Amino acid sequence: MCAKWYLGTGAQNDVVINTSIHLARNIRTYPFPARLSLPEKLKVNAVIKNAADTMDEYSFNHYEMKTLSQSEVVSLAERHLVSPEFASSRDGRALLLTEDEAVSIMLNEEDHIRLQVMYAGFALDDAYRTARSIDRELSGKLDFAFDDKLGYLTQDPTALGTGMKASVVLHLPALVSTSQITKLITTVSKLGLSLRGSYGEGAAAKGDMFRLSNTITLGISEKAAIENLKSIALQIAAQERTAREELFKAPVTEDRIYRAYGVLKYARLIDTNEFMELMSLVRLGAVKGIINMDCAQIEALMIHMQPATISLSVDRPLDRIERDKLRAMMVRRALKD
Amino acid sequence: MICQNCNKNEANMHMKRIINGRAAEVHLCSDCARSLGYGEAFSGFGLGLGELFGELLGKSDGSAVTGAQCPGCGKLFDEIVSDGKMGCAECYGVFYDKLLPSLRRIHGKATYIGSKPVKNGEISDGERVEQLKKQLSAAIEEQNFELAAQIRDEIIAISTMGGDA
Repeated sequence: MCAKWYLGTGAQNDVVINTSIHLARNIRTYPFPARLSLPEKLKVNAVIKNAADTMDEYSFNHYEMKTLSQSEVVSLAERHLVSPEFASSRDGRALLLTEDEAVSIMLNEEDHIRLQVMYAGFALDDAYRTARSIDRELSGKLDFAFDDKLGYLTQDPTALGTGMKASVVLHLPALVSTSQITKLITTVSKLGLSLRGSYGEGAAAKGDMFRLSNTITLGISEKAAIENLKSIALQIAAQERTAREELFKAPVTEDRIYRAYGVLKYARLIDTNEFMELMSLVRLGAVKGIINMDCAQIEALMIHMQPATISLSVDRPLDRIERDKLRAMMVRRALKD
Repeated sequence: MICQNCNKNEANMHMKRIINGRAAEVHLCSDCARSLGYGEAFSGFGLGLGELFGELLGKSDGSAVTGAQCPGCGKLFDEIVSDGKMGCAECYGVFYDKLLPSLRRIHGKATYIGSKPVKNGEISDGERVEQLKKQLSAAIEEQNFELAAQIRDEIIAISTMGGDA
């Protein structure tokens, strides 16, 4: 079955792909990163690194972004451990990373500290508990910019307050296919959440992958924001499962899944849209036990088969046909019995 | 340079990525970059309305504030309006009255509820739980069950959510 494969654990992973918590923090005595000189940035990095090094429970590898090779930097961005923006401008920036890569701290991105905790499956409480315990330890050692009325102060005023963004990535093929998704996007926006395509925007999300996040950071506690996100995510997951049940009542669903698998397995040319559409069906089949494929492999393929990434596997620009050919070849290889 | 995805628009996002140990460059137009989900995991922190916020600020107060400057970092209020970024923590205090209407408009409320930083010398969660457990035993011993229930709830709150309601 699917669940046991995805990085060992992963609650609800028939629908929930992964969970992440981001916290933004700044040190009171330094201007925000955009107004720091290079020597000041290096000083801020050193101060935060020293504080992080005193933690008993977590041990971080430390990378000055400037000293890493281009390949290493890009590899970090690929693994979602730093933002593409962070990777693009590396002066005065550093990264603290735990060995298991579940915790990453970007130094001098938009804020002095951007802490990320990422877990497989549905794990909001666990991810928040980890993020908060690191945050508490750091806050005991660093004077965080905090105001009783406004909360944690951030460079971007729309993130201030808790400075927290909690997200779950959801696979919603049945809600998309039964056209319930557009209404859902509107509904969650009224609840202080956003539901956006994880690849591509809105209802046109490729692979039926959606990211559900909190948007309000002021006037709502972390706990309340997470409970809110959790309850909406579970409701959406339940709706998705109900819609899947309905979908599977029609024999055409199983047929579509097998056809999708067949096309992926034998196609000689395949573009991104078709690939994502078919892979979404295959994932649905894998979760149902129809297709013998693990979810982790499917998720990895979805990332690696994006058009730009495909072009990168060879050292020269590819035209559309070449790219589609290469993609089809790589997918065939991945789906080989 | 032309976008590698649509082969039509001018590419304005340039990224390097690594596949199987080999690095190569990607050039995309902003539309394709967005539709392909580049940077999606990190974009939209908060509301992702940084620039809009500046716009809001400019509109929220027609009165002239030209020249107002943060003594902490030297950032002009006009600059915040134009780039939507605060210069330092002190900016929030200096421009508080100017910011408040826009913050309300964005978040609905402008009063903070949530966790607080730990001050130096404050005890850790683990130590606090140990303390509370001792108090809990004492309360049960004294048959003060109301107090015991309160302490139990506090222990649960700390161990499930890091101690913040």
